[in-house]
Amino acid sequence: MVKVTYVACDGTETTVDAEVGASVMQTALENNVDGIVGECGGAMMCATCHCYVDEAWTDRTGVRGDGEDDMLECAAADVTPTSRLSCQIRLTEDLDGLRVHLPEEQV
Amino acid sequence: MPLAPIEKDVTLDQLNVDPYPIYRRMRATMPVVRVASARRTFLTKAADTRRVKDDPELFSSDDPQTPMQRAFNAHTLMRKDGEEHRRERMAMQKAYTPKVIKTNWAQVYRDITKRYLDRLPRGETVDLFKEICGPVSARILIHILGLEGASDEQMMRWSQNLIDGAGNFGWAPEPFEVTDRANAEMDAHIESCVARHKAEPNDSALSLMVNAEDPIPWSQIVANIKIAIGGGINEPRDAMATIVYGLLTNPDQLEEVRRRDAWDAAFEEGVRWVAPIQASSRLVMADTEIGGYDIPKGDVVMTIQASANRDEDLFEDGENFQVFRPKNLHQAFGSGPHHCAGANIARRTVGEIMMPALFERFPNMTLPDPDAVKWRGFGFRGPINLPVTLN
Repeated sequence: MVKVTYVACDGTETTVDAEVGASVMQTALENNVDGIVGECGGAMMCATCHCYVDEAWTDRTGVRGDGEDDMLECAAADVTPTSRLSCQIRLTEDLDGLRVHLPEEQV
Repeated sequence: MPLAPIEKDVTLDQLNVDPYPIYRRMRATMPVVRVASARRTFLTKAADTRRVKDDPELFSSDDPQTPMQRAFNAHTLMRKDGEEHRRERMAMQKAYTPKVIKTNWAQVYRDITKRYLDRLPRGETVDLFKEICGPVSARILIHILGLEGASDEQMMRWSQNLIDGAGNFGWAPEPFEVTDRANAEMDAHIESCVARHKAEPNDSALSLMVNAEDPIPWSQIVANIKIAIGGGINEPRDAMATIVYGLLTNPDQLEEVRRRDAWDAAFEEGVRWVAPIQASSRLVMADTEIGGYDIPKGDVVMTIQASANRDEDLFEDGENFQVFRPKNLHQAFGSGPHHCAGANIARRTVGEIMMPALFERFPNMTLPDPDAVKWRGFGFRGPINLPVTLN
């Protein structure tokens, strides 16, 4: 188990226990975290699980995968250098304590 | 494990007229069931439909036995998997993004909606389905795709022809003769738009595809545009008609939607309640198991989104239109790689533009006889008429 904190755009923080191996998107859905929709189920086809990785964590979450840039262009909110699709961030022990910020809108 | 039970009594006609009581019974007594008349295994629970859509390797879209290829004269991205599907889809996806809609098109769509509403007579009863839902959807799609010069009538007819052809599971010759004629018209019109898009590129789907650095083959550009024509008119049309019906038959909810400006929630509930695309097919690639039954390789399963969207495991009072649900995790746009490419467009055009404009123009609109509204469709569903009195 690792911990992930989701920071909503109004500043509200939700910290949940997550399984290693699960994605940041799946973890949000399983814990009823508002602000992540993940409508395509992680197929990288909808950009409704957009998040901004906290700057303290970007080294550990790594770089965007193949095709992720293109799909991020389809996100509803602004895309920044720390933007990721949360379905593409898989949790490892190394990511225990990860903080991600959520955009104002996903659809 | 046993094979799924066989349902021999349910007819395609019953599913066309009113599938919901049938699905409700199936969810309760046989959620995985081989429906003899449809020659498909129906999956009626939300967890099963989602699992199938999310696993394209085991449940493939590439089913050579569907009439879609014949109807479109092409192997379209709807029936492809993996990288090939992704490449063709991403070639036009930018045209369907929230940013492009907001920055380039929102005002155009508002103006279109206004212009079509201007034509309606106040104080009279009109068929909103025919006068607004279809034509406005068609006109907006012309802009999204970059098909200026086509008429609303052509777009609606092409769309219906393609849908009828793709659904021609009996392989009767006539629907394919109709699609052949429609394909010839579409091919000519799409071709005629290219020079303009090369000279003046914009963010429409056709323009993006023909001006791409590394374009997909012309045959697939044309096929993509046709898929968008087939999938981009009837669905927003049916969604809009369904939502208007839901709100007019639940005036307390309409009042609350207005008060909270909750058109987005009304949209989500409309497409949950009666999903415009009710069912999808997937070809089973290896022996597997669903819901305690063996599902053999080569079987074709049908995910019944219509039923998943009313699944008692996810929705309280799912049979009824209830805009203000605590959660609305519907599957109207599907899931997995084939998640509806037009979801954003539908949400923004129908939910954010067309619905508020309609109710602002005719705040006292009524549906004098809800029983006069006829609903039809098994694969695609919605009202086929919507006689409202405009006030």
